[in-house]
Amino acid sequence: MKRRRVQNCVAVTACLAVGFALFVAGCGAPERTTSQIGSTTVLPLADKWRAAFNREHPEVEIALSGGGSGTGIKALISGSADIANSSREIKGKEVEQARAAGVDPVEHVVAYDGIAVILHPSNPLDTTSVEDLSAVFSGQITDWGAIGARGMGQIQVVCRDSASGTYEAFKELVITLRGKDKSRDYAPSALKQTSNQGVLALVAQTKTAIGYVGLGYLDETVKVLSVTPLGGGESVTATLENVMDGSYAISRALYCYTNGEPSGVVKEYLDWIKGSEGQAIVKELGFVPLKES
Amino acid sequence: MSSAQRAWEWIVGKVMQLSGAMAIVFVILIFAFLLREALPLLRSASLRETLFGDTWLPTSEPPKFGMLPLLLGSLYVTVGALAISVPLGLATAAFISEVAPRRIREILKPMVEVLATIPSVVFGFLGLLLVGPWLMEVMDLPLPVFAGLGSLMLAFMAMPTIVSVAEDAIRSVPMALRENSLALGATRWQTIRRVVIPAARSGIIAGTLLGLGRAIGETMTVLMVTGNAAVIPGRLVGILRPVRTLTATIAGEMGETAYATPHYHALFMIGLILFVITFITNTIADVAVRRSGGPAR
Repeated sequence: MKRRRVQNCVAVTACLAVGFALFVAGCGAPERTTSQIGSTTVLPLADKWRAAFNREHPEVEIALSGGGSGTGIKALISGSADIANSSREIKGKEVEQARAAGVDPVEHVVAYDGIAVILHPSNPLDTTSVEDLSAVFSGQITDWGAIGARGMGQIQVVCRDSASGTYEAFKELVITLRGKDKSRDYAPSALKQTSNQGVLALVAQTKTAIGYVGLGYLDETVKVLSVTPLGGGESVTATLENVMDGSYAISRALYCYTNGEPSGVVKEYLDWIKGSEGQAIVKELGFVPLKES
Repeated sequence: MSSAQRAWEWIVGKVMQLSGAMAIVFVILIFAFLLREALPLLRSASLRETLFGDTWLPTSEPPKFGMLPLLLGSLYVTVGALAISVPLGLATAAFISEVAPRRIREILKPMVEVLATIPSVVFGFLGLLLVGPWLMEVMDLPLPVFAGLGSLMLAFMAMPTIVSVAEDAIRSVPMALRENSLALGATRWQTIRRVVIPAARSGIIAGTLLGLGRAIGETMTVLMVTGNAAVIPGRLVGILRPVRTLTATIAGEMGETAYATPHYHALFMIGLILFVITFITNTIADVAVRRSGGPAR
């Protein structure tokens, strides 16, 4: 009995050793594997891209994960990802860190995204301005009456968690009025949700709520506000066309970052994404494709 | 024993010793790591501002790292959870060990233990999609996510711990105590309430504290159902308003925090605070468990 146990032990150890060796060898396998980490906004898009790209190039293995734009850029800097997905531009601080680590982040715009402002379907409000939205989300206006929806009571702001690129993008585009008033920030009383679906569900259930989601996540359960741009003008609905022609105020680019100019499989993949097939998927998922396609 | 056997015994003994030592080493290393990553925060904010400041706006300019709303959020949710789970857990433990016939006991006990194996994200889903909207409807609340919902969900998660520790404690109360009580003319309920439960007191306290440790450290469920608004909750009505707990703050914000910034250190400070809180409660629980080893008093 005892001897058999020792033998088992040896066998298990041998298996582990072989497994580990394979794992190490796998990590070292060059060229046809790549990894992409980052923004949860880009994630559903990246997932479809990967699947479609794999049908054409079954030999390429793309490891994909989310975690947020910051997580992706961190992974690019530490070398654990070849491509960082981001729904915001890289920050100055992050560029500094990358340089210090010997990484040269190169930016690729891969799609556009509009952020839709959403309400409970029973809310009578149809239109608002970026300025009013800023006041609402920063907590300066707390009553629906002040922005034209009388008798709705206290406004309940719903936003994304700060690990989300949408959180930063909305803060930049709306709350700080595109950087004009950097002292403004989200009201502390804002409810923070970890996903677009979370915001959608909460706003759909709460009569007094206002929130925002990426254009690709909109559905029938909520009402979408039209927004007049900064400095006034006509109100614009959050639609693909209006984001593409730049008339909708709350829109932004989505990025992939690579270390240096891409080469090999990474270049192949990014070119494919920016090409007609990749951009068709962008449109299919409710994001806004690049102009040249 | 042959020499091979002896060698084997020796190896196994050493491996066990080593794993025991590793556990301690890990705790010390984690504590040291938390200290190293948390203390640089004090360069950009004083300890007073951090612990008692009432505004948590880590990404604004200048950032504010007041953790009072988060501490109170965790306190509300945890105390609420214990207020529900301790009476319920104690009653269940007493029922299982004192009242239930053997057949029912054999079904009930594994069922309670199964409750402990349900992943926390499942409780989060239940709260978010079923219990929250239902409570909003029934109690006419403005929101389907609030501190009390977190308490309710955590109560179910902490209950198995409380039940199993309390049940062990109740079971280890000597039979003679019960027999004496009954012989003196006490009813069964009087015996449970005035004799058995007081005798099992330290085990029950230990179970409660272990449940508290579970509740305060729980992340996924509270992230999903408490609404995550970093405001200081109002007194009693605060239980029906959204709060943000310590754990949810780390989970929600870590993904976007740039390395070695004050925000990053602030999140580690929260981790340090959580570590200290759970360390203290677990230590007290441990002492209580040891005391309940023999009959109390």
